[in-house]
Amino acid sequence: MSLPVKSSSKEDYLFDLESERRVLSSMLHSEDACIEAYNALSASDFYSPRHANLFELTCSIYEREIRPTYVELLKEAHTLGLFSNPRDIEELKYISEHYIEDENILYWIKRVKDKSKLRRFEGFLRRNQQLLTENPDREVEETLLLAEEELTNLTALDHDDHIDTPEELAHLGYEEVERRFLRFKEIQEEHKGVIPLDGLPTGFDNLNHITLGYKPGDLIILGAQTGHGKTAFALHTAKAVAVDNGRNLLYLNTEMSRQQIALRWASILAGIDHDLIRKGDITETELSKVLNAYSRLRVSGFYSYPCPNLTPEKTISLARKFKAQKNIEMMIIDYIGRMDKMDPRLAEWQLLEQIVKTQKILAQNLGIAVLCLVQLNPDGSLQGAKRMKNECDLMLKLSPLDPEDLETDENLKKYHNPNYALYIEKNRDGVSGKRIPIVFDLQKQTMKDADRRG
Amino acid sequence: MYEEQKIHKIYDETASLIVDLSLRHRISHHEMHFLLNLLDQAVVKGRCPELMEALKKWEPDHLDPESNEIIKATLLALDMQDQEVLKNTAGLIEDLVREGDN
Repeated sequence: MSLPVKSSSKEDYLFDLESERRVLSSMLHSEDACIEAYNALSASDFYSPRHANLFELTCSIYEREIRPTYVELLKEAHTLGLFSNPRDIEELKYISEHYIEDENILYWIKRVKDKSKLRRFEGFLRRNQQLLTENPDREVEETLLLAEEELTNLTALDHDDHIDTPEELAHLGYEEVERRFLRFKEIQEEHKGVIPLDGLPTGFDNLNHITLGYKPGDLIILGAQTGHGKTAFALHTAKAVAVDNGRNLLYLNTEMSRQQIALRWASILAGIDHDLIRKGDITETELSKVLNAYSRLRVSGFYSYPCPNLTPEKTISLARKFKAQKNIEMMIIDYIGRMDKMDPRLAEWQLLEQIVKTQKILAQNLGIAVLCLVQLNPDGSLQGAKRMKNECDLMLKLSPLDPEDLETDENLKKYHNPNYALYIEKNRDGVSGKRIPIVFDLQKQTMKDADRRG
Repeated sequence: MYEEQKIHKIYDETASLIVDLSLRHRISHHEMHFLLNLLDQAVVKGRCPELMEALKKWEPDHLDPESNEIIKATLLALDMQDQEVLKNTAGLIEDLVREGDN
């Protein structure tokens, strides 16, 4: 039977009515398929308005906790007066007869979803072409940025809501325990008690020991007050990951220029005071040390992107691009308080919350670790801290140690000259509430674990 | 065609036929609702086999008009969600059919 279908045209590639019918049909004949489609699709994913209406109607029945069978749909449509003549019934029957095997529902859902994305992409191209035609004098940079953001929203953050079955969870749990068991044996036998990391090195032995490294999907937040080492911590992390271990990392900086970032590496890697390097007040021996230092950076996995007008959308697009092109394992955002607001009505804390949520989803979707640096208030507090804490896997605060503490705190007395501490506010996978004493050389912009006495 | 899809097809065609009859004013709105619910009970939910068995035995031509009216009125007022009521109705139909046979 042939029923109302748009005739073949050059836009045929933008829709797939057969897939739409198959999804609708399976929703009416299988409760499992209905749940899958309900979770994965929305009415706007359907090209045919008739199909979109039927999808909404089916979903509304399901939402009332009634199994949306073909009969229930007929009753509902009849009650709402949507059927006025027998042809309407014929059309619905035609859709309903597009039977599929239950296990193929995800395939048909994907086809509907893909066409829907394609239509949105086509709309995006059309709008931008129109924009170019109507406003030829528009700022190119602005046009590109807006287009990039829109395009990013089309592709990014398509969260996969997978629910584990009891079998899957049991399998996963056993695998995890077995992996840890084997690793423990390996530690005993080969590493002489030193725990190998689960993720990327943090740059601090004590933090490695507590966290087992920054793992794929982790969102790490580090808070520090202005001038108290946010960028130094970021670059110290970058050194551990990208220079010392050759893993690829993307570093986004919202306030420093390319030159400033490049200069910082000279101090960090050559161990020369930053002030002297900035002035150029160094000896020839030191210059050759700097050359040697940059040769390490040259072969590292450090990718830098200074970006004063960074937005949450742009971080997504950059992370996806570098994940695809360079297979980055970590992204560092230095720092999120300097990001631009896309919506000026948002309060500061709302913006931070939005950014943090976005970064957590991004970390999980791309399987990378994301380190966000945030600025603490002068009293050491953090605006919107509770919300951020909920979202992140690891929350650290970097602050100078109180000289009085150094004299009175029995634990700190066990260390040689610590001047700063990393406080673990939250650690999803392990202990929190710990303070790790470190030595922060402000001149050389380097950090290290404070050595224990004796 | 697989067995399951054959059942789906019969179910779809029967449901469509019922609504079609209603749109053509061959059956009432109440009758349509009852028949659709009955179809759902029989094919999808598989509930109350007693009622299905009783209905199979009901042959209106063999019963007096009064008994037929009682059965029809009972069925149209039936709450398909109530298992107890469904069983009682099945019993009532069985009784009336038995009386008619005697």
